[in-house]
Amino acid sequence: MEAVKNALDFSDFPRLDLTVAGLVLAFLLVFPALPHSGFAMATMIQFLMFSLYGMGWNTIGGYAGQVDLGKAQYNGIGAYTTAVMMVRWDAPFWVSMPVGLLFSIMWSFIIGYPLFRLKGHYFAIATIATSLVLKDVFESWDFVGAARGLAIPIRANLPDFLYLQFRHDYYYYYILLALFLLGILYLNAFRHSRLGYQLRAIKDNEDVAKSLGIDAHWCKIKAYAVATAYVSVVGSFHACYNFNIEPEDVMSLDLSVLIAMMALLGGAGSLWGPIIGAAILVPLKSYLGDWLGAESGLTGLNLVIYGVIIMVIAGAQPRGVWGMVEAVRARRRGGHAAA
Amino acid sequence: MPLLEVMGVTKEFGGLTANWEVSFSLEENEAVGLIGPNGAGKTTLFNCIAGHFPVTSGRIIFNGRDITALKAHEVARLGLARTFQIFQAAGDLRVTENVMVGAFMRTASRREARSKAEAWLEFLEIGQAGQAMMTELPVAMQKRVALATALATEPKLLLLDEVAAGLNRSEIETIIPTLRRLHEEKGIALLLTEHVLEMVLALSHRVIVLESGRKIAEGHPEAVMKDPEVIRAYLGDHFIKRQREAQNA
Repeated sequence: MEAVKNALDFSDFPRLDLTVAGLVLAFLLVFPALPHSGFAMATMIQFLMFSLYGMGWNTIGGYAGQVDLGKAQYNGIGAYTTAVMMVRWDAPFWVSMPVGLLFSIMWSFIIGYPLFRLKGHYFAIATIATSLVLKDVFESWDFVGAARGLAIPIRANLPDFLYLQFRHDYYYYYILLALFLLGILYLNAFRHSRLGYQLRAIKDNEDVAKSLGIDAHWCKIKAYAVATAYVSVVGSFHACYNFNIEPEDVMSLDLSVLIAMMALLGGAGSLWGPIIGAAILVPLKSYLGDWLGAESGLTGLNLVIYGVIIMVIAGAQPRGVWGMVEAVRARRRGGHAAA
Repeated sequence: MPLLEVMGVTKEFGGLTANWEVSFSLEENEAVGLIGPNGAGKTTLFNCIAGHFPVTSGRIIFNGRDITALKAHEVARLGLARTFQIFQAAGDLRVTENVMVGAFMRTASRREARSKAEAWLEFLEIGQAGQAMMTELPVAMQKRVALATALATEPKLLLLDEVAAGLNRSEIETIIPTLRRLHEEKGIALLLTEHVLEMVLALSHRVIVLESGRKIAEGHPEAVMKDPEVIRAYLGDHFIKRQREAQNA
């Protein structure tokens, strides 16, 4: 019961935050009714997906401070479970998604247990390695279509809510928006929970955390499983939205890095950070990539531009855009206290 | 039965012996000072007792349980809390939230953790700082917050590692009665290491002296301070010699 109360408790945010959040929510709700291009709709869907990835990443990477660069493997497990179950056994999304979630969480425990013996950069590198190994396995595994990937057959009658197949993108959009809102509420409960506090204590100083009765290793494994759950659910959705999946697409290193980058850019360890990060980087990625690639023939320059953005952020404010907002507020508070 | 019993604890780091065959015990509701010159092995002994370091040999019994092989978080859950000498200000948490992390050891409820945290902050007379970020506070306040956090785990025994380090004279003078009140009103046993001898003498019933990892003296604070072994450990051989010459003259 307290968890539900915690999920709905936004009282520690200033009114300005909640007003902005309300306006953004209103915009997201009416967006499909506004005049928009197909490209804009696709970008909005990407924005919602990356917000969810980032929220998940934020539990382990932000609150717990463990930089995880292997989230794509869970996107792959979710996407492949859904695709394989649809192709081979005709199982609906609502069955395959929880199964994929279960597989992902099991896998997260199996690799989380040894991985969290490592710290800092070693941990980050190990997460990259496990993700790449899993991708290689999928690329040579015939049962899941190897490197060719899998194509989900189109249903006869559309729209099909059981299999998440629609003729119009706004169906996908609203389903994702519902997941997005659930994701925020869960994360809000998470940061108010015992685990949420304990993770922040671990991030500050692991020895102090241990002296407060916190089993740091086990707490990190739990947070890692929560992060995994977000990514896996979006992965399952991704399979239905794209119809075709292949390892290079759903579990590439690029995806892992992009997930971490968005959360870090927006502000790791804050509720709004990953959403802000996705709101900045997704449109940049879509429009810039499209414009540079198609019109100017400068494919790849967009990657250079992300690199520069990340360098500037990391140098100026490691806590991202949200960190800048907080810094300004702290300065104002300090000014009041002095006055 | 003593609350804490340290039996022949030796701790070696490679070839370096930080603690050698240290034995002592501490009764329930007792306050014991652990003193010694720099590098005597006080903090290492704390880390061994609290489970941060595995001991090389020896046994540690707390509240009737052998805790020698337990990990730090398991020791903490049995009711043995500690503070750290080098305290790094927390990043993401406000003062009350920081103390709540301690309270979360005994409860999963945020509401309960918050009310406990607030009570401890009141007890330590820093209730007004609850909404501040740790980094905004002066060192003396940060130390009190760290103390409140450790206390929120509801310990039977509290290990205090250099509480006075980094504090000025008036701050030391105000923390002594706070610690005494803690000990007397809350019935929490204390084991404290300290460079500020005045503080050890004011708080401890008994003092243990370490030098180069070995226990060289134990007893009533004033008696221990007159022990020539202890004076030599702190001030060196030539001091004793000069003292003797002065007496003879």
